[in-house]
Amino acid sequence: MASSNSSTAGPGSFTIARRRVRFLGLSIDDCIRYFFGGNAFVAVIVLGLITIFLFREGAGFFAQNRDNLSVYRRAGLEFVDIMRRVETEHTDMTRDLFALRQRTLTYYLEKEKLPLAEANARLAAFDDYSGRFSDSIEGLRGFISDLGDAASATKTKFIVSQDQLEERNQLLAEGKTAEAAAVKIDEVNFDEEIRTLTGTLPLYKETSREFAREAQAVLDHPPQLPTPELTARLERFHGDARSFLGTLPGVEQELESWDWRRPVPLWRTVTSFVFGTRWLTASFWQDWYGVIPLFTGSLLVSAIALAIAVPFGIAAAIYVNQLASPAEQRLIKPCIEFISAFPSVVLGFFGIIFLGEHLRQLSNASWLSWVPGFPFSERLNALTAGCLLALLAVPTIFTLAEDALNNIPRSFREASLALGATKLQTIVKITVPAALSGMVSAVLLGFGRVIGETMVVLLCAGNRIAIPDFTEGLAVITQPVHTMTGIIAQEMGEVVRGSIHYRALFVVGMALFFLSLLINFFAQKIVRRYRLSIG
Amino acid sequence: MKNILLLAAALVALPLAQAQKLVIKGSDTLGAKLVPQLAEEYKARHPGVSFEIAAEGSTTGIAAIIDGTAQIGMASRRAKPTEMSAAQAKGVSMKPTIVAYDGIAVIVNAGNPLASLTKRQIEQIFTGDVTDWSAVGGKPGRISVYTRNTSSGTYSDWKDLAMKKRDYASSSQKMAGNEQIAAEVAKNPNGIGYVGIAYIHADGIKVVPIDGGTPDKASVLSKKYPYARPTFYYTNGEPTGEAAKFIEFTLSADGQRIAERVGFVPLR
Repeated sequence: MASSNSSTAGPGSFTIARRRVRFLGLSIDDCIRYFFGGNAFVAVIVLGLITIFLFREGAGFFAQNRDNLSVYRRAGLEFVDIMRRVETEHTDMTRDLFALRQRTLTYYLEKEKLPLAEANARLAAFDDYSGRFSDSIEGLRGFISDLGDAASATKTKFIVSQDQLEERNQLLAEGKTAEAAAVKIDEVNFDEEIRTLTGTLPLYKETSREFAREAQAVLDHPPQLPTPELTARLERFHGDARSFLGTLPGVEQELESWDWRRPVPLWRTVTSFVFGTRWLTASFWQDWYGVIPLFTGSLLVSAIALAIAVPFGIAAAIYVNQLASPAEQRLIKPCIEFISAFPSVVLGFFGIIFLGEHLRQLSNASWLSWVPGFPFSERLNALTAGCLLALLAVPTIFTLAEDALNNIPRSFREASLALGATKLQTIVKITVPAALSGMVSAVLLGFGRVIGETMVVLLCAGNRIAIPDFTEGLAVITQPVHTMTGIIAQEMGEVVRGSIHYRALFVVGMALFFLSLLINFFAQKIVRRYRLSIG
Repeated sequence: MKNILLLAAALVALPLAQAQKLVIKGSDTLGAKLVPQLAEEYKARHPGVSFEIAAEGSTTGIAAIIDGTAQIGMASRRAKPTEMSAAQAKGVSMKPTIVAYDGIAVIVNAGNPLASLTKRQIEQIFTGDVTDWSAVGGKPGRISVYTRNTSSGTYSDWKDLAMKKRDYASSSQKMAGNEQIAAEVAKNPNGIGYVGIAYIHADGIKVVPIDGGTPDKASVLSKKYPYARPTFYYTNGEPTGEAAKFIEFTLSADGQRIAERVGFVPLR
């Protein structure tokens, strides 16, 4: 505008002759400036509001979880759970025995070529032994089950009294004071209820010792097994069983020192979330909100995705930036960037119908049985989800790594070539090391992209809320997992607004928020350090 | 010309004036197949009635009755005490009507040689006490347990019906719906899961008899089959107007025939 006016304006007058239109005292330029500024500002405000909302909804979790944990203690559920540990460990041991029977049976069937009936007959002594071992807990199990019912009843009574309280509050909120006053609230006397629980302690000790005696008696007469290897396994089982029986007095001591009045400190609610190994909701016994199973699931899936995406993304970036002809560049770049245009739900669907099923069939091929985790039977697992997420991470990693390579001054490359280095030497020794920090940050941002992805993991990761069994080594990649993003998408739909479960999901959202903040922070930091090194 | 316009306007206005809109919200057990089909049939008989059906879970159905945003709330469970008290506070009286019975069937892969399971074994499998098929008389292999997701009514109903209220094994996989469970079990030779009996005819799966009982009409109505539950319509007091007629239709012989066709167990 200024240039077109200046040609017509005479000397001595202002370059812009036309009087500026003013609206509310603002010129058009000002309006445009404020419009853009305002838009930028709105973005900041909205981001701020979202963050505040996230924290407001999530913050209540810790207080509610403290109530949740203190009811767990006061109603005596914790007391019963200490006893239950014995029962659970015993169940684990019987499972070991079962696995041993399985091995022995396979030995009889495959090595000695016995018919099934004959093999089973030879195992009769073992069956008798394992049956007696598994029955030895019966007395204790019945005892604990009764106590569990009692503790559960106390908890229910407490919840009923809370419901009555809520009813009164609801009536008060509607302004019905007379009806509110009529609501009877049955207070729960925890002291009395607990005394009936702890009063059974001597009986528990008796039952527990009876169990130990019985189990010991069973262990003293082990059956004969056909091979030294199997016998060694049985020996190991005996060792485990003896040390398990050795822990029983410890449990008794723990029960004795247990006190329902001990308050639940606030930090416990934080640690029970951050380090909690169980995410268990809608339980009739006790709800647990521990993020570790989801966190490890998210990490495992992301690690698989990155293990696939990083080589592909980086190598493609190096090739396109350093080696490809312009024609190839024009083809490859849009193709890779196009991948990110796929809606992730479409990828997820593809994962269920095609990839998961074909991976599973492939895993059953006998020539692939050396691959860790193969064969597997669940088609929805971390590997399926990881493969698809890799597809989503490749464009991010590729684009950013390519940018990093672009940022390397031409002079670096030219100097290297001038000194007589070949193209490949230049890439390996000069360009890539110089762009390394940019590439690392590209990988980090790719990681951020993957860990925040929801639809693919919800559909394809298998949704098993348990810490992946890392003792299986690399085979862990074929286990089903659940993720932080997946759990929010899956459970948010139907939780009651304002309930502890609802807030727990928000806290998971907060954890994700911090995680991506951290990832972005490191990515930025690494890039900045890199810029300094060039100067 | 003017007359024609008026006539056209009247023709447009007539159905609008008569149009009765019935809003039905709640359980996806009822809302996925049964209620939409009932609604289609009802619309054919009573032209001018339109339906809005939202199936997002029993909790939303009961909440919709309390808030007055629906005439009929579908639920696969009874209202909880807090919901009853919330309704009372708002002057709403919750009236349940049993629609039909929903049997839950235990399904395994069609290739699984297992002939039958006991209630005790079902409990052991779903709680994770037993993790290998050979422990319940099957071919050796690690059991893959498929369940509904935690917010589903069926998820907790199953714990109540089949697991003595114990918790699911942590190795269980949470699936979004009946179809997904059936699809995964059909593809997994070691899979086991539960679905509504409307879904037992999917390919690649078979129903396991429990203590010798299969989920059919006779065994559900005689309460011989252990895993069956009633489904409900909730209304605010006695239903009136179109809602009452629709409920009446649901309970009529024709309505119950539709219920049976989509896999529910009719009341008679």
